[in-house]
Amino acid sequence: MLARPRPEAPRAPTIVPVLCILALGLALPLVLTSGFHIRLAMLVWIYAILCMGFNLLYGYSGQISLGQPAFYAIGAYAFGMLQVMLGWSPVLAFLGSLALVAVLSLLIGLPLLRLRTHYLAMATLAFMLIQNGVANRWIEFTGGQSGIAVPPLQWGGEPIGRTGIYYIVLALAAAVLLLHDLLIRSHLGRAMQAIRDDETAAQALGVRVTRYKLRVLVLSGVMAAVAGVCFGFTSLRVDPSLSEFHVLVSMLTIAVVGGLGTRFGPIVGAVIVVVLPQLLTQFGELETVVYGLFILLFLLFLPHGLAGVLERRDWFARRSSSPRMASRTRELEREPS
Amino acid sequence: MLMKLSYLLLAGLTNGSVYGLIGLSLSIIYGSSRVINFAQGEFVMLGAMSAVLFMVTLALPWPVAMLAMLAVVVIAALALDYGVYRPLIRRKAAPLTIMIGTLAGAIIVYGLAFLIWGPDQRYVPPVLSLEPIRIGFLITNPQQISLIVIFVVFLLATWYILYRTRFGLSVRATGVNPRVALLMGIRSERIVQFSFIFSAFISGVAGMMVGPLLGGHVGMGLLLTVKGFMAAILGGLGSPFAAAAGGLAIGMMEALMAGFGTSLYAEPAIFVLILLVLIVRPYGLLGDYEAERR
Repeated sequence: MLARPRPEAPRAPTIVPVLCILALGLALPLVLTSGFHIRLAMLVWIYAILCMGFNLLYGYSGQISLGQPAFYAIGAYAFGMLQVMLGWSPVLAFLGSLALVAVLSLLIGLPLLRLRTHYLAMATLAFMLIQNGVANRWIEFTGGQSGIAVPPLQWGGEPIGRTGIYYIVLALAAAVLLLHDLLIRSHLGRAMQAIRDDETAAQALGVRVTRYKLRVLVLSGVMAAVAGVCFGFTSLRVDPSLSEFHVLVSMLTIAVVGGLGTRFGPIVGAVIVVVLPQLLTQFGELETVVYGLFILLFLLFLPHGLAGVLERRDWFARRSSSPRMASRTRELEREPS
Repeated sequence: MLMKLSYLLLAGLTNGSVYGLIGLSLSIIYGSSRVINFAQGEFVMLGAMSAVLFMVTLALPWPVAMLAMLAVVVIAALALDYGVYRPLIRRKAAPLTIMIGTLAGAIIVYGLAFLIWGPDQRYVPPVLSLEPIRIGFLITNPQQISLIVIFVVFLLATWYILYRTRFGLSVRATGVNPRVALLMGIRSERIVQFSFIFSAFISGVAGMMVGPLLGGHVGMGLLLTVKGFMAAILGGLGSPFAAAAGGLAIGMMEALMAGFGTSLYAEPAIFVLILLVLIVRPYGLLGDYEAERR
């Protein structure tokens, strides 16, 4: 019997890998005993949340936004400020900051999603620079360079310990991961991919392009805000470095190393981007150069990232071009590249 | 009042010339390859820091130092072409992926420069004197004037090459459609290589001239890249002249905003303005040319 061509979108893949990842996450504090390692693990989840949003937006829908760090920072700032200035409870402040970012990304998205490729990238980058500039300069409101302190999370009057915080981060990451996975496997994910591959064709087939783009943009903004909130209550301080270039570079690196438009790329990438600098410290002054080379080598030799390698099921029967590659090629041919 | 205005305009013109030169070089690369080069500001940084290396450390006279500096930036441009652009384009990477590739290139250049020059601010020797001179009631110095002159010269040179030579015709043809250009016997990859070298040339000279005014620092590239992007996007990426005009506009706006409003918020305010312009005109102020082609 002839093998049917594999559909591009994973139709009904099992949820098992997701559960495995979460089980690993649950077991991690048992293995990692030092506080430093737990901190790194939390950072991995935080970056994974941030990048799952970016993955939905760029990897699946083809709409690049370099403004994600701004939403990340705004989420974190709002979480801290709502508690400190208005005296809201942490849960309320969490919901409030998500709502704020959702409204903000809607307002940004409505006019900006008319833009394409490089123009969209630069406009969202401008948004990030505005946010960063204001956070740095409006000292009375944002605390300027030194930022603001976030009150520690408490349970029954006692501050929650480091492991407890880890599990809260994990719970939020799990929620985002399940949502990310659900979206990709549903008709929404296929609509997003249709928009990415050919906007006009998608529209002709009845995909409401503008509406989907806007929804994905808001969703990815909210995911970035979740990551920001997590960063807020893990580090207890929020400052303008949250929306500086190194966050953007880390996010892009995760996307490239993990694999854009893959189910587990953001998680694989986040593990590498957080853990790798720890290993790179042995290169001393060469660290930056090695980091740059690393991104370049991934772009060249593993264009679909590590997760792309893991998720390719026909490892042995390698076809000359996978359906995804074919669609990318078409895209390139249409645009004067 | 009038004097203040003309001072501000002169300062804006000088800064605007730098942004314009970077915008010009970005859009020359974009025009032939559809790639936004994240490493453009690093070329400027290399220009300024090479001036430190050749003129201070090795104490060469400036014409020799300039040639040596140009050799450095051209080598960097060739490395970017052979190391990032060609391999990625042969693997049929999407334009935005190549952009991330040039970002990796920028990180590598920054890392190497950091190894050579370290984190400190360096004194960049002026090529021309920094002695104040008077033009009418304006006080300026030859170094500032030379930036504006260089901007005009490169603008004219770019116009001449692109619109008055056979070679420029093939550059423009490659930008419109590399495949058809290839069928017509134009070696597209050579054209792209030329655009990388030419734009690195412009940025390197800009770096050497602006170094004494800004101060040399290995981290200076990023901000200049961003300003150059904004210049190119504001004007319209499709045409080098629109990008250069965008740079001038940003320089002027910055100076006026700092002079009449608050210098603290000048930078974020510029980005707000750019965002508003993009919302009204999605392909930049002068960007009809590209919009038509889609």
